[in-house]
Amino acid sequence: MALLEAHDLSIAYDHRVAVADLSLTLKPAEITAIIGPNGAGKSTLLKSLNGQVRPSSGTILLDRQPLEKLNRRSISRRIAVVAQEAELRFPVTVLEFVLGGRFAWATNSGWGWETEQDLNIADAVIRETQMTELSGRLMNELSGGERQRALMARALATEAPILLLDEPTANLDLSHQATLLALVRNRCDRNEAAALVVTHDINLAAQFADHLLLMKEGRAVYSGTPEQVLQPQVLQDVFEVTVLVDAHPVTGGPRVTPVHDTYRHP
Amino acid sequence: MPARVDRVISLAPNLTEIVFAVGGGDRLVGRTSYCDYPPEAKSVTEVGDTLHPSLERVIALKPQVVLISTASQLEVFTQQLENQNIAVFVTDPHDLEGVFRSIDQIGEILGKKEQASTLVQSLRQRTNAVEQAVKQKPPVRVFYQLSAEPLYTAGHDSFVTDLMRRAGAISVTADIPGAWPKYSSESALASKPEAIILPTGGSMGTGNSKVAEALRQSPAVQQGRVYKIDDDHLVRPGPRAIDGLEEMARALHPDAFK
Amino acid sequence: MMNRVTLRKTIISCALLAAALLLAIVSMSLIGSEPLPVRASLCAIASLGSTSCGLTRDQFDILFQIRVPRILLAAAVGGSLATAGAGYQALLRNPLAEPYLLGISNGAAVGTMTALVFFGANEWTRPVLAFTGALLATLAVYRLARGRAGSTPERLILAGVIVTTFLSSVIVFVTTLMDATRIRSFTFWLLGDLSGTSGALLPVAITVAIAGALILTLNARSLNLLMLGERDAFDLGVEVGRVRVVVFVVASLLVGSSVAASGSVGYVGLVVPHLARLSLGSDNRISIPAAALGGAVFVIVADTLARTIIAPRELPVGAITALIGAPLFIYLLKRA
Repeated sequence: MALLEAHDLSIAYDHRVAVADLSLTLKPAEITAIIGPNGAGKSTLLKSLNGQVRPSSGTILLDRQPLEKLNRRSISRRIAVVAQEAELRFPVTVLEFVLGGRFAWATNSGWGWETEQDLNIADAVIRETQMTELSGRLMNELSGGERQRALMARALATEAPILLLDEPTANLDLSHQATLLALVRNRCDRNEAAALVVTHDINLAAQFADHLLLMKEGRAVYSGTPEQVLQPQVLQDVFEVTVLVDAHPVTGGPRVTPVHDTYRHP
Repeated sequence: MPARVDRVISLAPNLTEIVFAVGGGDRLVGRTSYCDYPPEAKSVTEVGDTLHPSLERVIALKPQVVLISTASQLEVFTQQLENQNIAVFVTDPHDLEGVFRSIDQIGEILGKKEQASTLVQSLRQRTNAVEQAVKQKPPVRVFYQLSAEPLYTAGHDSFVTDLMRRAGAISVTADIPGAWPKYSSESALASKPEAIILPTGGSMGTGNSKVAEALRQSPAVQQGRVYKIDDDHLVRPGPRAIDGLEEMARALHPDAFK
Repeated sequence: MMNRVTLRKTIISCALLAAALLLAIVSMSLIGSEPLPVRASLCAIASLGSTSCGLTRDQFDILFQIRVPRILLAAAVGGSLATAGAGYQALLRNPLAEPYLLGISNGAAVGTMTALVFFGANEWTRPVLAFTGALLATLAVYRLARGRAGSTPERLILAGVIVTTFLSSVIVFVTTLMDATRIRSFTFWLLGDLSGTSGALLPVAITVAIAGALILTLNARSLNLLMLGERDAFDLGVEVGRVRVVVFVVASLLVGSSVAASGSVGYVGLVVPHLARLSLGSDNRISIPAAALGGAVFVIVADTLARTIIAPRELPVGAITALIGAPLFIYLLKRA
């Protein structure tokens, strides 16, 4: 049963078509990765899925209901977003930041106070993201990677079954990249969540995603399992670079290596 | 200062009135937009208002002398005129004696010494008459309300303070430094004036025709001793100030003028 | 490290500040250009206007007709401006956002001037036109600041500066059209003048101050998220558009009613919310009510200075708030 569906989505603004005739489905316990060159419309697509950008045509269904009929809070209870964070100009601790994820559940959203349950959930996700020693620190004292984990923690605190992640591994070093996606994987497996990850890192996507969507210039060029999508000819057409696709020695899945004309010869 | 002055510009209403009063009205080639008395003054070319006269206009009218009041704070303007070799006469009477002096001086500049003398003499006569009449009467404690909101009054350096003294009154704010201080409502209430002078009408129109909130319970209001006097007779240090003096004296000491 | 803000912490802080406000109201009522007997005055205040406390008729009038209304107006103006400042800072994600910088105060001033010049007699036109002016200035700032990526705080502040300077020129222009006698009193008013506590407008100012602070506090949790980023707030469930409208309208009302009553009292909307956040944290659930109460105390004290330093003459209260506020602000900037 699909949690989130998009049918024939087209998004245009400023006389440009960002996304054209795109359909996708997010099912529980599945990670879908969207890959493609810059300007392919990946981020725009992601923004439309929780209502931030309005499509010019097509429909988006959340739990089988049209997105535009739902109110802001009920959407936020079902969909959580991990995106590039804005500059923080006011001091806020990690705990306060993560508690922000409980907003959609507040019975009195205007001037409510966090409940016992909110605090427990926040503590749990802070533990899950290994931020426990940092929970009292101010957000702008943290490194880029640590802040990204806090963002992840906040999204997890919403307990939303649908996670939308826009380049979540951009600022992370190697160890944290894997950890973060492992968290997503965990959520999907344990809580039957669905995740949509926009990423530049094709190999990471290949390792973690169940489903891959390849976009170019706003259109879905190819979709399927990583094995199906990551074909050399397809990739060469989309990215306009020669690639070599072989089997990853450890995971057995596809591994993509770009082949350049000029090389350092050791 | 040239020997014979045919073209003079006045940059203050009181100075314009003095010019006409000494018979030099025909020599006036420029005035400010506030110079509205006597009526003949209105046909003279305007050069701006008292605070921002137009240097170009003034120069274009080729005056030999420009009359300026220091109250307008035109130091820079004065300097610019002097740079153009235009003679400048600056005056700012703080009291009646100062007014008489200014009349004499302007009379001299315009070659109307005789008329000026005669004028000053008759003004002095009227002043003395008033002062004599009220000498026997106990002075009335008066509050001069320049504006109600915010509350402004006449201070030590104000021209009107001298007038009030001569009219047989003690201004409750006579010792406050400055010319037009903003006054505390509490102190106004506590001063309990026996009479209130409201300068209104004239070029002020209907403004300032109500007593300030703080004074509504004062003895002055309770005894109906609130006197509206034409603003132009009180704040322009010129010949009509004597009119103001007489009006105030008559209002404050009616039985002295039977 | 600052602890998380809880309901308990908020109630305690606000209770303390409310007590400070009450103390300020009572103690500053005893100070003025005319000395009043302390015991008798306290008795009269405590008994809410009993005439059998030993005050003369005049002393009673000074206390209850002039001083207390003025102090209450100061509280209303201070509370309103501080609340509006806190609201703008949260909404625009910029600790420097302030009714002045954004041109809202000048918009309200132009509105008030229009009311004075064209509808002078009817005093109700002043707050109404002040609010209209503030709202129009807000809209102007908003339209100017709209960029392709939406209105970033930086563009908003820049647009605000443009609108402020434009409206300042309008004010100067109108001032030159006024006659000399009016200019003096008007210049004084522009710098903040709390001496005009005419009857009906005082309850209006107090009501607006309280209502405005309450409404913004009731949106505090949304503002907390908005403060972190508009996108974040949207994703987490805040109705960004609605909250934005509420803050702008309420803040315009607050600024409009303050300016209509007392001209432009500066620095309150900048310094007081800053101090509140520094001492209590950036959580708006505590910092907005704290700013409202603190702003009231601040302006009461500043106005007491304004009306006693050169007694019986008076200074515009805006001069005092600037003298206190500017160095304080520089100090706060250095600490940050």
